[in-house]
Amino acid sequence: MLNGFATRRAALLGAGATALTLPGHSRAATPATVNIGFFTETKPTMLAKGDGWFEAGTGGKLNWTEMGSGADINAAITAGSCDLGLSTGSAATAAGIAQGLPFKLIGMVDNIGPAEEMTVRTAAGIKTPADFKGKKVATPFGSTSHFRLLGFLKTNGLTQRDVTVLDMKAAAIVAAWSRGEIDAAYVWAPAKSKILADGGTVFPTYEALDKAGYVIADLIVVRDGFAEQYPDAVTGFIKAYGRALAMYLKDPNATADIVAKQAGVTPAVALSDMKEYDFVPLAEQATPAWLGGTPQDPGKFAHVLKGTADFLVEQRSIKSAPAVDAFQKATDTTYLKKALA
Amino acid sequence: MRTLPAWTITVLSVLLITAAWVGVTSGGLVRDLFLPGPLDVWSGLMELIDDGYKGRPLFLHVGMSLYRVGAGFVTGALVGTALGLGMGYMPKLNALAAPFIEFLRPLPQLAYLILLIIWLGIGETSKITMLFLAALPVSAIAARDGVANVPPERVRVAQALGASEWQIFRHVIFPSALPEILVGARLAAGIVYGTLIASEIIAGSSGIGWMVMDAGRFLRSDYVFVGIGMIGLAGIVIDQALLFIERRVVHWAGR
Repeated sequence: MLNGFATRRAALLGAGATALTLPGHSRAATPATVNIGFFTETKPTMLAKGDGWFEAGTGGKLNWTEMGSGADINAAITAGSCDLGLSTGSAATAAGIAQGLPFKLIGMVDNIGPAEEMTVRTAAGIKTPADFKGKKVATPFGSTSHFRLLGFLKTNGLTQRDVTVLDMKAAAIVAAWSRGEIDAAYVWAPAKSKILADGGTVFPTYEALDKAGYVIADLIVVRDGFAEQYPDAVTGFIKAYGRALAMYLKDPNATADIVAKQAGVTPAVALSDMKEYDFVPLAEQATPAWLGGTPQDPGKFAHVLKGTADFLVEQRSIKSAPAVDAFQKATDTTYLKKALA
Repeated sequence: MRTLPAWTITVLSVLLITAAWVGVTSGGLVRDLFLPGPLDVWSGLMELIDDGYKGRPLFLHVGMSLYRVGAGFVTGALVGTALGLGMGYMPKLNALAAPFIEFLRPLPQLAYLILLIIWLGIGETSKITMLFLAALPVSAIAARDGVANVPPERVRVAQALGASEWQIFRHVIFPSALPEILVGARLAAGIVYGTLIASEIIAGSSGIGWMVMDAGRFLRSDYVFVGIGMIGLAGIVIDQALLFIERRVVHWAGR
C-alpha cells in the first residue's frame, strides 16, 4: 500500500516538475493576483490582513476567500483555486500530506494550546473522564478540535459507544447548547466563549493531550505550483505575518484594536481570545522544535503530523499514511529562513 | 436502418459511461482521490459492509436515512394534500394559507437550519420537520390545483342529481384531483430526497447523507462514490414504486 502510494506521489511530483520546465514558460517576479483561503479569526493574521501587509508582502492583488474548514482549503489547493492557506488546521494538513496533495507546509500561525478546549455544562456534573459516559459531546468533524476530542476519548479508554459524539458546526453547537441538548463541546472561540458564558465550565484536557502527542496547530500552506513560480511572494507573505506577530508580542492592546475591527468583536474579546493561543515566533518555528528538520532526522512537527495522519487512518478518514520523512519533505522552512534573513 | 428500441440506448449509454470510467481510472490517468476506479469503489463498499462507518453499520446509516425520508414524505404529503384539497374547495382557506405555502415552497431548507435546531433541537424531530416542510407546499399546491382543474360541469351534473356536498367531494372532486395529487406526491418525494443531506447536517453522526459529507471532508472518494451510488439507486427505486402506485390507483388518468 505504502509503495503504491509513494509511486503515485512521485508521479504527481514528476508531472509538476515537467510542467514547470516546459519551454516558453515565463516566470514573473510578482503574481498578478493571489488567492488566499482564510478564516475570520481573532489573531495577528487579521492585523496583517487589515493593514495591507500581506498585500504589500506578496506584491500582488489578494483575493480573500473565507473557507469552511481546513479540508476545504485542501480541496481548493488541489483544484488550483487557492494559492495560500492561512490558519488551516494541522489535522487537515496531515491528511493532505498523507494523500500527497500538491502543497507545502511553510509556517505556523499558532500552536493552538488551550484555545480549543473541552467545555462541559456545569450542571452536568462532569468531573472525571469517566463521567463522560452516556453524555453527548459535539464538535465539528474533521477539525483539530475533533482530533483532540477523539484523542481524549482514546487516552481515557472511552469509545464512541460510551460517549455520543455529534458532528456539528460551531454555530449549531451554540444553538444546541442553549437548548440544553448537548452536555459538552470541543470547539474554538467565539463559540467556546459563548457556551462558557451560558453555563459552561472548562474541562482541561490539552496539557495531557499535548504530552500524549495530540498537538494541534494552525498552519500556513502554499500550493506547489504557486511557490515554484513566485517564491519571493511566498517569502513576503511569511515576512508580513512575522511583522504582525512581532507587533502583537510587543503591543498586544494596539494589535487587539485592529484585529477586533477585522473580526467584528470588541477589542477586549480579541485580546482575551489571542491570549489563549501560543504564538510561536518565526525564528523558533524554523528550528527542529517545530517545523525544522531533515527527512533523515525529522523535527518535532513532522512527528506530530505523522501521528495525526496515523490516527486519521485508524479512524478511516484517510486510506493510508506514509512514513515520517514524507511529512518533513512536505514541510519547507526556506521561506521562514528567508523571511528572517 | 431500423431505429433502436429505447432500452438498448439506455443499456448502451450506461455501458459507455462505465467503460470510460474503467478506462480513465485503470490507466492511472487520474488519482483515486479525484476519481476512484470501480475496484476502489467495490472494496470501499465491502469495507463499509464489513466494518460500518464511524461506529455504525452501513445498513443502519441507510435505514436511518430511509426512515427520515419516509417519515418526512408521508407526513408532509398527507398534511399537504389535505390542506391543498381544502384550499381548492374553500377559496377563503386558500386566501388564508396561500401566502405561507407560496413563501415556503421556494425557500432553501438550509436557510432555516439553525432555526430548526433552536426550536426543535438536534434529534430526529428537527430533521424530519425539515423534510416535512419540504414535502408540504408541493403537495398542497398540487392538490389545490387538482381541485381547481375539476371540470365544473361534472360538479353541476352531480348537484343536479341531488348529491350532497360530501358526496360531491368524495365521489367527484377527490377522484378527479387524484391524478394531480399523485404527480405532486412524486414531485414531493424527489424534493424530500434532495433535502436529505441538508437535514443530516443538523447533527451527526448517522445517515447516508451525513456519511457522504463526512467522507468527502478528507477526500475519501471511494466512500463518497458508494454513498452517492446508494442514494441514487434508492432514489430510482422510490420513484418507480410511486410511479407503480400512481398507475395502479389512477389507471384512468390521461385517457
